[in-house]
Amino acid sequence: MEGLLAGNEDAVRALYARFARPVYTLGIRLLGSAEAAEELTQDVFLTAWRKAARFDAARGRLSTWLMTIAHNLAVDRLRRETGVSRPTLVLVDEVPEVAAQGEEDPLIERDAAVRALQSLSEAERRLLARAYFGGLTAREIAEADGVPLGTVKTRLRTALIKVRRANQEKERL
Amino acid sequence: MNCLAVREHLAELAVGVLPEEERPAVERHLRWCAGCRKEASELDQAAATFALALAPAPVPSGLGDRVVARIRQAAGAPGSRRRLRTAAAAVVAAMVAVAGLGWGAVMAGRAERFADRAAQAERRREAALEQFRKVLVGLPLGTQLPEDDTHLGQLAPTAAGRVGGGAVLELVSATRIDFVIVIVNGLPRGPGRLPYRIELRNGTGDVIRAGEIATLDADGGGQAFRQFQNRSLAGFSTVLVRDAAGRVVLRGVVGRAEGA
Repeated sequence: MEGLLAGNEDAVRALYARFARPVYTLGIRLLGSAEAAEELTQDVFLTAWRKAARFDAARGRLSTWLMTIAHNLAVDRLRRETGVSRPTLVLVDEVPEVAAQGEEDPLIERDAAVRALQSLSEAERRLLARAYFGGLTAREIAEADGVPLGTVKTRLRTALIKVRRANQEKERL
Repeated sequence: MNCLAVREHLAELAVGVLPEEERPAVERHLRWCAGCRKEASELDQAAATFALALAPAPVPSGLGDRVVARIRQAAGAPGSRRRLRTAAAAVVAAMVAVAGLGWGAVMAGRAERFADRAAQAERRREAALEQFRKVLVGLPLGTQLPEDDTHLGQLAPTAAGRVGGGAVLELVSATRIDFVIVIVNGLPRGPGRLPYRIELRNGTGDVIRAGEIATLDADGGGQAFRQFQNRSLAGFSTVLVRDAAGRVVLRGVVGRAEGA
């Protein structure tokens, strides 16, 4: 058991070293406090450890899997905690358009992600941010903007497909 | 709900705002429809891109230790009364361990740029997980393994080996057919290496040959699985992996996958 635990710990630490920052960052953006983001980070890695058998490398990247867990847990938490206001909407400006020069950021995922988002128009990025970071449903966005629900759904889908295509093109390079 | 209707909802599902009342039908469909599942997975990746692009916030120091402590507690580490309840949980732990070995081996190198190493590490890790998954799916045993009978260990390089790593799972049971699964990663494929042979030893020097790994994938990964109809693996807790020339390249010791 000692050896197994030691092995686990190494594995968890390696996973943590690679992904703690984006997970914690997402927690800050969605939940608004360092304390909540820290709890979320712990929950995400515990969930990943428990569900490791369900991760299927053939069907997706490890980073996607972890960030999906993080987003789902954060959204669930916000839904559970009635009375808590919606997460603050992240301004589009906070999603950087170009990678910061000379930044010592070991996360290759971030560079790639920033590049993939460049395939979107500002309106598309704003729309996705309102849903993904702001938690607004397609219906709420439609009502706020005075456009048909179907149009919002189509735009969300179109924007995601653009990012998907950019991700796929990047992987082919 | 048919595929057309489901796909209209997948973007909202990916960004986490699909209304509660519509989610169960979509998730039910995804359980059996591989095509929509693939689409959903790709849209998830696109949505996750948004999170990954955020300017990173500084992570509090000590959070890594607290994460490890939470997992230790959940796993039933010494000091906790909780134990791994099933061998399935132990298998999961072994998979995570395999993933860690892949990373460790790659992170230790210095010649390559970090980004290259990280990308290579992810490929190795994914390959290892995939192998373990295939082996487990192929087992004629069902998924439930008795926790008291499951022994796990990691394989580490010896002086002769110096590279690679792996994990071992032994079932040592009074009522079932004993077996051993060995998964390796990062082993060299050059002349004189293949096949790698698996050897189990007990404390009195007895040896059991437990199969061989005849082929390795591009990342030096492979696996062996052998059942023992007529003999017990009890006490054979030392596991060696030898190359074709007989040199021990990986070594490990298995222990019970419980909190004792």
